Amino acid sequence: MSASVYVAFPLMALLGVVQTAVLPHFPILGQVPVLPFLVALAWGLLRGVNEGAVWAFMAGFWQDMFSIVPLGTHALVFLLAITAVLLIQQLLPLSQFLLPALFATIATILYLILHTMLLRLLGFSLTLNAVTSLLPIVILHAIIILPIYWLMNQINRRVNPRRVEL
Amino acid sequence: MDFNQTQQRIRWGIFITLAGLAVLLTILDNTGNLDSVLALVRDPFGTVLSWTSARADGVNNLLSAPRDIEAAQLEIEQLQGRIDALERENEELRELQGEYQILLELFNRARETPTYRRVTAAVIGQDSNPGVRSIIIDKGSADGVRVGMPVESARGLVGQVFRTTPNSAQVVLVTENSSAVPSRLGSSRATGILRGSGVGNTMTIDWIDLRFQVEIGETVLTSGLGGRFPQDLVIGRVVDMNRSEAELFQQAIVQSAVDFEALEIVFVIVDFEPVDTSIFSTSPGG
Repeated sequence: MSASVYVAFPLMALLGVVQTAVLPHFPILGQVPVLPFLVALAWGLLRGVNEGAVWAFMAGFWQDMFSIVPLGTHALVFLLAITAVLLIQQLLPLSQFLLPALFATIATILYLILHTMLLRLLGFSLTLNAVTSLLPIVILHAIIILPIYWLMNQINRRVNPRRVEL
Repeated sequence: MDFNQTQQRIRWGIFITLAGLAVLLTILDNTGNLDSVLALVRDPFGTVLSWTSARADGVNNLLSAPRDIEAAQLEIEQLQGRIDALERENEELRELQGEYQILLELFNRARETPTYRRVTAAVIGQDSNPGVRSIIIDKGSADGVRVGMPVESARGLVGQVFRTTPNSAQVVLVTENSSAVPSRLGSSRATGILRGSGVGNTMTIDWIDLRFQVEIGETVLTSGLGGRFPQDLVIGRVVDMNRSEAELFQQAIVQSAVDFEALEIVFVIVDFEPVDTSIFSTSPGG
């Protein structure tokens, strides 16, 4: 595992602030994308399950800091959803251009399902109506993951250049 | 042991450790054991959120008025500095007018109920969870804000304080699923518990007796029963009714009077005279 996991903590804190104080001012189709989730997923798709899991946990941890739900809730849900998708990724051929969109769709659906279940378990009464109203976020994530994935790919290439044997 | 097996073990080790940590944090937080530690971490972020939110709001205002900007740029080209200065002055006046309007509404609201003691707070963030409806305000326990206090805007009831740090607080909106407010309808006088739907700005009042003729457009107010909210705070209006003669009760769909997306300033009601329910605790004999 590389040193990027140490970057994840302050980066996700920053993204948590952006998610809470900036993004609500700029909703897209009435929805606010969960940026830390997408960044963790994109990094996981590029760097593998181990780093993806750590980034997912950090992203969820900072989401919890700015939410009324108990600490650890997002951390667990992000971890489960992103790890599951990263394990599926290993079974598929190398990443194509649109695969991140597919993985973002699956991961977001998993996130919504797991999150609803966990919140209900913790005593939050989420109705089916409320959950279905969040479904446009799945499409939004599938689109937004593409520039995020591209950006993270550029960063990854600079931070971790490929070794070439001569 | 081959390389792949070691890799697998490391992977599962990381996963189980993180999942265990997340569960542990959830349990500790849910049982209130992390409150003081988390308040220490969350508190400095209140200032960061406040600053960031104000900047983002400014950018949003700029982007939401592209026509004004385009027009201003055209005029800058034509009339150069003079028009530019006038435009800027005009924008400033509009901004001031908007602020004046907000303050006037808040002032009027405060004047209507002088017995309440209020703390004015700015909204500095929204819940990071898209499925949960709460906001973050820039006043906390150091300003006298306590868990459970009602929060209102100039238009009506906003919600209730859920958690505080010394300099910020999280407020559960009245439209959140877990929210329940004892309410009363303005003209039909029917009472019931108003619950958030978690979707949009709507809420519902279930179990209204069929003998009440509830009209669409009726105002919904807090009943004050239970003592958690003051009496007669405006919540919203009835926009739809679900009546079935086969059932014994009816349901009212209520639209909140508050536009939660545009909420900038709120009042935390830190002190109010609760409804007198002592009549219920007095024994019949004395």
